[in-house]
Amino acid sequence: MRVLEVHGVTIESRIGGHRRTIVREFDLSLDAGETVGIVGESGSGKSMTARAVIGLLPPGVSARGSVTYDGRELIGLPERELGGVRGSQIGLILQDPFTMLNPLLRCGRHITEVLERFEGGRVSRRARRAEATRRLAEVGIADAIDRYPFELSGGMRQRVAIAAALAGDPKILIADEPSTALDATTQKELLALLKSLQEARSMGLVLITHDLRVAFAVCDRVCVLYAGSLLEVGAGAALEAEPLHPYTLGLLLSEPPGDRRLAELASIPGAVPSPDDVAQMCPFTPRCRWAAPVCGAGRPPLALVSPGRSTACVRIHEIRESMRETRVVVEQPAPIRPARPASRLIEVEQVEKVFEGAVGRRGGAAVVALAGVSLEVGAHESVGLVGESGSGKTTLGRCLVGLETPSAGRITIDGIQAADYAALSSGDRRRLRRVVQIIFQDPYSSLNPVRSVGTTLREAITLYEPRSRRVGEEVEALLAKVGLPGSYAARKPVALSGGERQRVAIARALAVKPRLIICDEAVSALDVSVQAQILNLLKTLRADLGIGYLFITHDLPVVRQVVDRIYVLHRGAVVESGPVDAVIDAPQHPYTVKLVESMPRSSPDWLRDA
Amino acid sequence: MSGDAIPTIGRGRMRWIPRTPFTLAFSFLVVGVVVLLAFAAPFVAPRDPQAQNLVVGLTTPNSEFWFGTDAVGRDVFSRTIFGARGALIGPVLIALGAFVIGNVLGLLAGYKGGLLDAAIMRWVDLMFALPGLLVAIVLVGVLGSSYALAVIVLLVLTSPFDTRIIRGATLEQRSLPYVEAARTLGVPAPRIMFRHIFPNILPITLPNAFLNFAFSLVALSALSFLGLGVGPGSAEWGRMLAESRLLLFDNPMAALAPGGMIVLTAASMNLVGDWLYERLADRGRAR
Repeated sequence: MRVLEVHGVTIESRIGGHRRTIVREFDLSLDAGETVGIVGESGSGKSMTARAVIGLLPPGVSARGSVTYDGRELIGLPERELGGVRGSQIGLILQDPFTMLNPLLRCGRHITEVLERFEGGRVSRRARRAEATRRLAEVGIADAIDRYPFELSGGMRQRVAIAAALAGDPKILIADEPSTALDATTQKELLALLKSLQEARSMGLVLITHDLRVAFAVCDRVCVLYAGSLLEVGAGAALEAEPLHPYTLGLLLSEPPGDRRLAELASIPGAVPSPDDVAQMCPFTPRCRWAAPVCGAGRPPLALVSPGRSTACVRIHEIRESMRETRVVVEQPAPIRPARPASRLIEVEQVEKVFEGAVGRRGGAAVVALAGVSLEVGAHESVGLVGESGSGKTTLGRCLVGLETPSAGRITIDGIQAADYAALSSGDRRRLRRVVQIIFQDPYSSLNPVRSVGTTLREAITLYEPRSRRVGEEVEALLAKVGLPGSYAARKPVALSGGERQRVAIARALAVKPRLIICDEAVSALDVSVQAQILNLLKTLRADLGIGYLFITHDLPVVRQVVDRIYVLHRGAVVESGPVDAVIDAPQHPYTVKLVESMPRSSPDWLRDA
Repeated sequence: MSGDAIPTIGRGRMRWIPRTPFTLAFSFLVVGVVVLLAFAAPFVAPRDPQAQNLVVGLTTPNSEFWFGTDAVGRDVFSRTIFGARGALIGPVLIALGAFVIGNVLGLLAGYKGGLLDAAIMRWVDLMFALPGLLVAIVLVGVLGSSYALAVIVLLVLTSPFDTRIIRGATLEQRSLPYVEAARTLGVPAPRIMFRHIFPNILPITLPNAFLNFAFSLVALSALSFLGLGVGPGSAEWGRMLAESRLLLFDNPMAALAPGGMIVLTAASMNLVGDWLYERLADRGRAR
């Protein structure tokens, strides 16, 4: 039975007279008990699509077309009637579990609030409370009813949000990146929960995600959205076996595989265009290897290729063979040849870091971030530091560059005792700066917004070579190293995309010619296609300059692509270490086992054993 | 920190004036005219502002004396024009001084932290505890009234507000990756403070200077009104208002002109500052 039918929905924003298309002619149908995934990178319009379905578009954004739920047209419905549909018919969960719940309401209240709206006759307080408890038990946190959101972890909050979204017993649940903000192990549990709830209630589920593997594992059908246009629709398994659009193939190939290392990730050049720039052509044309003149002639519609599969690629029959071959070549595993480190560059011995509660305030509990960590990094070596949030991995990275000072323990970098940067002589400190540099996660705040790229790089260069006469040339050389044209020196960060900013951040670190760069989740905020570009860049830099990395991440597939050895950090202590292949393929410690199992795999049985 | 960080103790953005394109354009016009008058007063004013004309005496506005004359026959129009100087110099000095002091102390306290921060902030707390204008009245009253003294006292009273705002903004910037990257590169602290952080907090500090101007114009006029600023007989708006308030029924313009100019100038500066804030904040936020 068809419960939701979306047809020809176009979403536009109008801000200050500027009209911008966000999504163009989107179609989707959902049967009762079916799970459909909408996959896309940032800027694809996937979240707006979800919001359009339930009439929750932000001010200035409007949708045209038709959304029929149970035979009833939702677009253009007055807000009062939409309110009745939301919650009781269509539920919604959003990405950020930290802002989705009202911090002043106990968790139970979030549920009873919805129950009150939809209950028929008079219901006693006690009965309602019992119902709320039952609902929370359904999502596995029965004891949270009297707790406030701040007392819960992100995963638990997301469960409360799910219980609240389901409290009105909707027939359809729309989940917008429900697991993206969560740790890998929590993500897996949450997806398994969503899947089991969907099956138990035979509810329709629309899962919006940027992660193809997650979509394959959870969904019956997957729609690939790019720059506001649907490019491909098909069953998950079929889509993975053979993508029928170059973009889907590109997405699949730029996703680092968890089970092997590739010689080079197949990245998609460039960045996602705005829908209006590619309105009159196949939106993927500017980045497509197989682009031909026909691709630029008009916007291709989704065409049925085989039952249940459609693609917007007009050349699919000509290029199908070539796409297949590409995939075979790219997915060839590359052997890891660990460089025998000639000497030790960094030695960390029993480092501890305790964050005291707020000064002079009682009750501010001390947080132990590092509880005796020891590790070493050789010269020219690339080492991974893997752990979930709260494992202390970032704190350790910050200790190495002097942004934090360890409470105890020894850090030796290039023969200098570097545990306390403040106590070092200025000469030693200057030397250390040229040994270790750091790149941060968020490309948007990593660069000073008021300074041009050139100014930023020039400053870094002249710090250590104040009399260099060829600063201009050096800036250009640095930009070339990270794959940016020299003209970017004049640009401000605002004019750069996330990936380009991260390239500039790398160039800035390279400017002082360090021997090791600490990459603190340096690619995790980027879209997969861009992430692949940056990972490839890091690999190239290592090969060309002999630079080493300490790669701090929660992402095992990513770390497998770039490092030789890894350390697994759990609650401030190293629980396992060794060559990256050995640790991921045959994990020993129970925590590592759990971490490896939570890597998203496309097969549906990934969620079964959760 | 958001736009609401600008404290409203003793002053505030004039929310009761709707900021439409018209009021904004008008505000710019008023500010422009006042600045122009301050510089060109001798050429614009039809008469010597101090010249008494006892023959004419007190008159209402007429073709010869546009705003009429005051009790001793001085031309109110010319005096109002010359008053723009006093209305500009003092507030500009105070706004500028508070900007410099506030930035230096605020950046130091926010970036360096520790004992220096504690010392600076305790001083700020102390100044916050004092009732500003009252202290100014007492000090100027005891030390003798003079325009310069009033300016200095108001500067000392204003800068703690700025220090506090700038410290907060600095704290926010300090933890951003671009500052941490600069620290890791080994950029010296003063350079990080003044070359990296300072331009990024301008969207907060620069409009605040405009608000300071408006505040100190009103405060200085109040002191003059009470006879604690400039000497008697000076062509200064607050003073003129004080001396002419008894003439309200004989020549209302003698009091209305300077009073109106105070209100217009202060309100205009406020709106301009407000507009500037939003412009700068938008620019910084654009991605």
